[in-house]
Amino acid sequence: MLETLHNLAVGFSVALSPPVMLYAFVGCVIGTLVGVLPGVGPLAGISLLLPATFGMDATRAIVMLAGIYYGAMYGGSTTSILMRIPGEAASVMTCIDGYAMARKGRAGAALAIAAVGSYVAGSVSVVGLMLLAPPLAAFALRFGPPEYFALLLFGLLVLAYMSSGSMLKSLAMAALGLLLGMVGIDQMSGYFRYAYGVVELGDGLGVVPVAVGLFGVAEILATAGQPVGPKVLKPKLRELLPSREEWRQSVAPIGRGTVLGFLIGIIPGSAHIISSFVSYALEKKLSKHPEEFGHGAVAGVAGPESANNSATSGAFVPMLALGVPSGPIPAVMLAALMVHGVSPGPLLIKQQPELFWGFIASMYVGNIVLLVLNLPLVGLFVNLLRIPYPYLYPAILAFSILGVYAVNGSVVDVWIMLVMGVLGYVLRKLDFETAPIVLGVVLAPMIELALRQSLAMSDGHYAIFFQRPISATLLAVALIMIVLSLRTFVRRGLDWRARMALAEKGES
Amino acid sequence: MLVRCVVALAAVVLLPLSASAQEAYPSRPITIVAPFPPGGVADLTARPVAAAMEKVLKNPVGVVNKTGAAGAVGMQSVAVARPDGYTLLLALSSISIIPEADKIFDRPPAFTVDQFAPIALISADPTVLVVPADKPWKTAKDFIEDARKRPGQISYSSSGVYGTLHMAMELLSHAAGIKLRHVPHNGAGPALTAILGGHVDALASGPAVVLPHIKSGKLRALAGWGERRVAALPDVPTFKELGYPDAEFYIWAGLFAPKATPEPVLAKLRTTVRDAVGDPDFKTAMDKLETPIVFKQGEEFQRFFDADARRLAEGVRKVGRIEPK
Repeated sequence: MLETLHNLAVGFSVALSPPVMLYAFVGCVIGTLVGVLPGVGPLAGISLLLPATFGMDATRAIVMLAGIYYGAMYGGSTTSILMRIPGEAASVMTCIDGYAMARKGRAGAALAIAAVGSYVAGSVSVVGLMLLAPPLAAFALRFGPPEYFALLLFGLLVLAYMSSGSMLKSLAMAALGLLLGMVGIDQMSGYFRYAYGVVELGDGLGVVPVAVGLFGVAEILATAGQPVGPKVLKPKLRELLPSREEWRQSVAPIGRGTVLGFLIGIIPGSAHIISSFVSYALEKKLSKHPEEFGHGAVAGVAGPESANNSATSGAFVPMLALGVPSGPIPAVMLAALMVHGVSPGPLLIKQQPELFWGFIASMYVGNIVLLVLNLPLVGLFVNLLRIPYPYLYPAILAFSILGVYAVNGSVVDVWIMLVMGVLGYVLRKLDFETAPIVLGVVLAPMIELALRQSLAMSDGHYAIFFQRPISATLLAVALIMIVLSLRTFVRRGLDWRARMALAEKGES
Repeated sequence: MLVRCVVALAAVVLLPLSASAQEAYPSRPITIVAPFPPGGVADLTARPVAAAMEKVLKNPVGVVNKTGAAGAVGMQSVAVARPDGYTLLLALSSISIIPEADKIFDRPPAFTVDQFAPIALISADPTVLVVPADKPWKTAKDFIEDARKRPGQISYSSSGVYGTLHMAMELLSHAAGIKLRHVPHNGAGPALTAILGGHVDALASGPAVVLPHIKSGKLRALAGWGERRVAALPDVPTFKELGYPDAEFYIWAGLFAPKATPEPVLAKLRTTVRDAVGDPDFKTAMDKLETPIVFKQGEEFQRFFDADARRLAEGVRKVGRIEPK
């Protein structure tokens, strides 16, 4: 413990030196920006900035790149809440309840809760990273394809909690999403599926163009199609801050989101996206008022926003402790270290204590910077809603197209977004929810790869899922959850979902 | 992004001028396309090459990552680019694999190898065979003998089907007459993660990324695919020494231009790259990445490229079409 404190003191002396502080600050600001811009996420931001770090020393480079990563998690919630456009993939869940809160005039409260939740999650998870990195990293490596498959099944179970309307309709949408997720090169055989000769479709439909299209573009089209334009919101200053009641409702979700996000985050893969899905499901399951979800539940913003932030710290655990590229973003950061001649590996913490502890300390500082940066911005961002729709929406559309194009420089991505926008509009008119489609597109490639890798490992024997302790446990828990939800289904006949659907019918 | 837009805009504006006046090449920014994401071998080689070429030419040289479909998107874009010497490609061995794989699947190829004019080879890193340190195999001989006894039982991870790391293992399998179990991953990073977690038994990898794990005792290197031993692993023999001369494989990086690029421009590019590779900053950058500079150009590069392409084409054909079980 004493040694840790000593190391941390060394770390802070590095992190608080003016040049390192400056780079952490620059990273946080850029991160917030790429988070706010629709489409452009942390991976694109870090990739674009990577060459700029080649001239710096290793500590500054890594501190700045990390700042972009967790800064993007702060910024990502902004457009999700205000305009129902996910700033990056981990903010998809925030679109649902965050935007519903904004429609009720609680945009300021939602933004403030997202910022505070991100701050708590960011700071607490760094403590976890600092104290538990080596043992946790060893555990994370035990997640091979069979374990990942079992975890992803939980992701699918989330479906049951995603919709507030008809179960049949949301399952249909999820199936559509899973089908769309099949587009692209088959990872196990190299076969091009549903690409129709378009080489760019080889990588499949990206989550970002699909989500921005289904949520953002569809929302813009739907608004334009209304006979009477929606009333422009005029937020008042005293409504910017969350009420006492809203704070009370978000404390527990922030706590749960932090722990959950960190644990899922350490698992190799794009875990920060899954963490926000699982957190949303957990909050809805635990909530006394699940019917509020989808209509502006505070917990639906607080939980996922905290989870995606602490998942970023989790992702650094295997990266720093073992030098393992635990996801696309840590892989780019490891490359940044290698460019500086620092070989990332199990000996990094011993050989480069200043880098490791400076990095840890910079995350404490960075999270404070982000909170200070983001809270005053709430007032500014909320005022965007005062702009009349004829000006606001074309501008958003332009930014969405720019953002989606910028990620890969691919016109095909822009077309995917526009087609998804039209599809989303039609589905909305027919009363289908589009969130399960996004879930399907995210999960389909991952589940398929994990399943088939597992079967390749076992030469086709399904027993592999039950022979390995972690995957067997996860599958057992998933099975219990399914049985439990079936029981309530059989007993009550109508659960709250059905009652909700009935009530809605009565209204219209 | 902004810089890229400005460069593109400048290019568009200046294009008519440069076309009319027969001025010396180069007179506007040159773009090197890296067909893989930032942080990968292609990107990390392209950046210092671009910087060194910029110094030699005193003309801006930028790197653009045009990624997708295992590199096919970026390579195709250069294959059909205007052959004026302003769009170049930094390709890896996969440039010879992708058209062969297209043939296997009877689909129209995204591009063919003869759409490119080779300029120079910049680096070539032989892969090494690593296994988790807690496995019983102490030497490549142990490994191969065990694989003969238990065909299809020993598993290995790779960066993807028909990917470079897959091909290296296939060349070994055929040279040694063994059968291994392939578990493809989506990239070299996840493939490394899989072996560190003990989910597979072996991996063919570039030496730089596995060195720290060999030093820390997590992984053991058994043999290398190179003509010579890897400098950082002097005790690890090559498959050639062990009597498998066909198991030769390099992760190489080379610079290419579209085929119809005029000869004077190609000549200028060749001398530029030769000088750039000698630049001390370039050497330091490659040293830090622990990637050996192997410079070949003209006839010599063409011979290396042809031999490598032949080996890989044969490898792809031997794998054939992978039918789902």
